[in-house]
Amino acid sequence: MLLNVNPGLIFWTVVTFLFLLLVLKKLAWKPILGGLESREQWIKDTLDDAEKRRREAEQKLAQYEQMLDQAKKETQEIINNSRKTAEMMKNEIVRQANEEAMRLIEKARRDISLESEKAIEEIRKLAVDLSVEAASKLIGQTLTGSGHREIVKKYIQEMKLS
Amino acid sequence: MVLSFLNMAAEEAVEHSTGGAGFILEEVSDHVLVKLPTVLGIDLSITKMVLMMWIAAAFLIVLFGVSFRKKRLIPKGWANLLESVVLFLRNDILHPYLGENTPRFSPYILTAFFFILVSNLLGVIPMGTEATSNISVTATLAVFTFLIGQGASLKKFGVIGYVKKFVPPDIPFFVIPIIFIAEVMGLFTKHFALAIRLFANMIADHLIVVTVIGLIFIFNSYAAIPVSIGMGVAVELLVILIAFIQAYIFTMLSAVFIGLALAEEH
Repeated sequence: MLLNVNPGLIFWTVVTFLFLLLVLKKLAWKPILGGLESREQWIKDTLDDAEKRRREAEQKLAQYEQMLDQAKKETQEIINNSRKTAEMMKNEIVRQANEEAMRLIEKARRDISLESEKAIEEIRKLAVDLSVEAASKLIGQTLTGSGHREIVKKYIQEMKLS
Repeated sequence: MVLSFLNMAAEEAVEHSTGGAGFILEEVSDHVLVKLPTVLGIDLSITKMVLMMWIAAAFLIVLFGVSFRKKRLIPKGWANLLESVVLFLRNDILHPYLGENTPRFSPYILTAFFFILVSNLLGVIPMGTEATSNISVTATLAVFTFLIGQGASLKKFGVIGYVKKFVPPDIPFFVIPIIFIAEVMGLFTKHFALAIRLFANMIADHLIVVTVIGLIFIFNSYAAIPVSIGMGVAVELLVILIAFIQAYIFTMLSAVFIGLALAEEH
């Protein structure tokens, strides 16, 4: 009795179950599973998007860091170049100044020696004149003429030599 | 053999049900409520089980219809509860056993789960009974699982591939017939067991409840009332648990059988 199979009940089970299957498929399973699917997709998309953005940000950061490094390097280079140029200019200026100074000293020295020679020449001339005058006063007579003058000049020449 | 023996014993008991425990079997057997004509040898009368199935179906349609009337990205209330159950079934039953075939079979699996669950729970309601405590109903459901699984397998592998799947590869030639027969028998047995498991569990639940309450009438004493009611409540709580467990087991095994029918390797 408990295990008697009733064909009518089987028929109604099939009808009821298939009806329920069709109604719930449209009413429940499609919206629920679709909703789950779309929600999972949305979460996945959002995560993917976040990941993408993160990677982009990292890339940008790396790029900026590189740029910063580059800028630092360039600045350093500019500073170094300027320093070198300044050094060179300084050396040049000092060199020129030195040269100028040397030149001036040289010129001064030449002038001095020229002047002193001139002065010595004058002194000598004066000495000759004085000597001649003194001698002429001493010997009471005037030593004139080129003959005398030559003699005195010779003496002075000898004096200078000794 | 054992089952037919039980059957005979049950019929005997009903025949002699004048004052003994016959009402228990009366309680778990089907009754015609509305007499309808017999068409092609099928008696279309509306019985108690048919009514219980209709109540279960109507309840599910109303429940899901009302809960999912409005579409929301994040469900609320009943929709949230039902959705989490569906999510559980999808992630714990459908995806592990059916894999990429999930979308094809999820409507059947989900409908079977909720239909069996509500049918089982209707047995807890007074005057109600479990439609699933009738072998005709559970056998029909098991046949559904059988037809869906084997049909999908035939469609996927073709007739030759389908038959080949019954014989595991790399076995000695002379054992092939034995293995083949064993595999075919196993296929029928597991679906038969599917029907019997649900039916036996639900009828056992109902029988225990009826028996515990029936003790009042058997002892014919007021003293039995508190004991019977207390035990009855305890048993009903167990019945609710079993209602869920059996719905889950039937659904999971259906998914397993369908998944096996579609598996590539033996």
